[in-house]
Amino acid sequence: MFDAVEAFYRPGTVREALRLLQDGKNRARVVAGGTDLVVEGDRSIRFLIDITHAGLSYIRRRGKACVIGATTSMAELEGSPVIRALAHGILARAAATCGSVQIRNRATLGGNLANGSPAADSAAPLLVLDAEVVLADARGRRKIPLAAFYSGPRKTAAGKALLIEVAIPAPPRGGRWSFQKLGRTESDISVVNAAAGLQLDSQGRVKWARIALGAVAPTPIRAANAEKLLVGRKVDESALAEVCNEVGRQVRPITDVRASAEYRRETVRVLVRRALEECAAGTGCSL
Amino acid sequence: MKSMEVRLNLNGEAKRWTIAPGDLLLDVLRREGYFGVKRGCESGECGACTVLLNGQPINSCLMFAAQAEGADVLTIEGVAHGDTLDLLQEAFLDYGAVQCGFCTPAMILNAKALLDRKPHPSEEEVREALAGTYCRCTGYRKPVEAVLAAARGAAR
Repeated sequence: MFDAVEAFYRPGTVREALRLLQDGKNRARVVAGGTDLVVEGDRSIRFLIDITHAGLSYIRRRGKACVIGATTSMAELEGSPVIRALAHGILARAAATCGSVQIRNRATLGGNLANGSPAADSAAPLLVLDAEVVLADARGRRKIPLAAFYSGPRKTAAGKALLIEVAIPAPPRGGRWSFQKLGRTESDISVVNAAAGLQLDSQGRVKWARIALGAVAPTPIRAANAEKLLVGRKVDESALAEVCNEVGRQVRPITDVRASAEYRRETVRVLVRRALEECAAGTGCSL
Repeated sequence: MKSMEVRLNLNGEAKRWTIAPGDLLLDVLRREGYFGVKRGCESGECGACTVLLNGQPINSCLMFAAQAEGADVLTIEGVAHGDTLDLLQEAFLDYGAVQCGFCTPAMILNAKALLDRKPHPSEEEVREALAGTYCRCTGYRKPVEAVLAAARGAAR
């Protein structure tokens, strides 16, 4: 299938990977786990650049914040005590649903994001955590919010740059978190996914809210209007109903082989309700 | 076509193979005669092409052969101990956990990776470990029983 490939490179540094990427013009592709790239099956690839030896597999805690190297696998995220302890483990939970054991041993966090799928399981938890991505190119490095990274279905702001790191700032104190996913099976691609984060005041009113959704728009999205509706209120039946209605208005799902647009519009409301109820109950995320 | 060399440790033996840079690990293993690595869906869904890469199950259909450079790769051909079957293989026989046999190498390799990491797993953990391998004969119960029996060290 990849008969046109002339060379397979295994650069040991980001700098070398970038040089190879530049030299390969439009015919070079970066590969890590390969679980999306091989399935995509682009026969025009002439140079493959394997970045899994470029020093990008790490999870480091920086105080309450943490940084994750782009080639960290889903299995590593799922098993990491740092990631399991972060925000009730929502990112670990999402990683644990990202395909079978065999897929999770190879699939990487950077690949899940850079592939640009609106259904990427790691995107919704990272959006509610206000994560940023670090992009490297010949000119240097820049950090942008994950929300600004996505520009359309399978389109990102990376351009010729390489996604090298995901940075998660310290989550708000006492935050409550949830990740919800509906797939055809436990390990299938999301039909719809949703993540939520809430911080409540001593009266139980919402001080801070994040809601993010996957597979219901051209990119993973924040439901910003729905978040605003929650602030200053208790998470009661009327608030939940309003928020879910707003979510239903904001999404732009499509019909595909997994589900119809109507089904996605309906189920995203259910997942957001479950996520907010789980946050309000403060039971955390079942791993 | 361009070619390159890949050096790996396959089933405990050092190998040095000439490959094309775009070759997938599945294709190279079968070309070299390791037919226990099955060609199924070729898209990472069915798990029939599972091998252990440094002890971890992976789909060899989604990995470039060049990525195996320097790695330990285990296929079903390397699971038995000489002429003696591994306890897991014995358990699969004892429990009749083989129907057409196409998914059996992948089931056993996934189970082996689990038991190597966790010698006494729960049934749920066994099911999770086998979930990435489809049995189109739909014979799932007996493989689960066989893995649990192997974990108890019990052949029937």
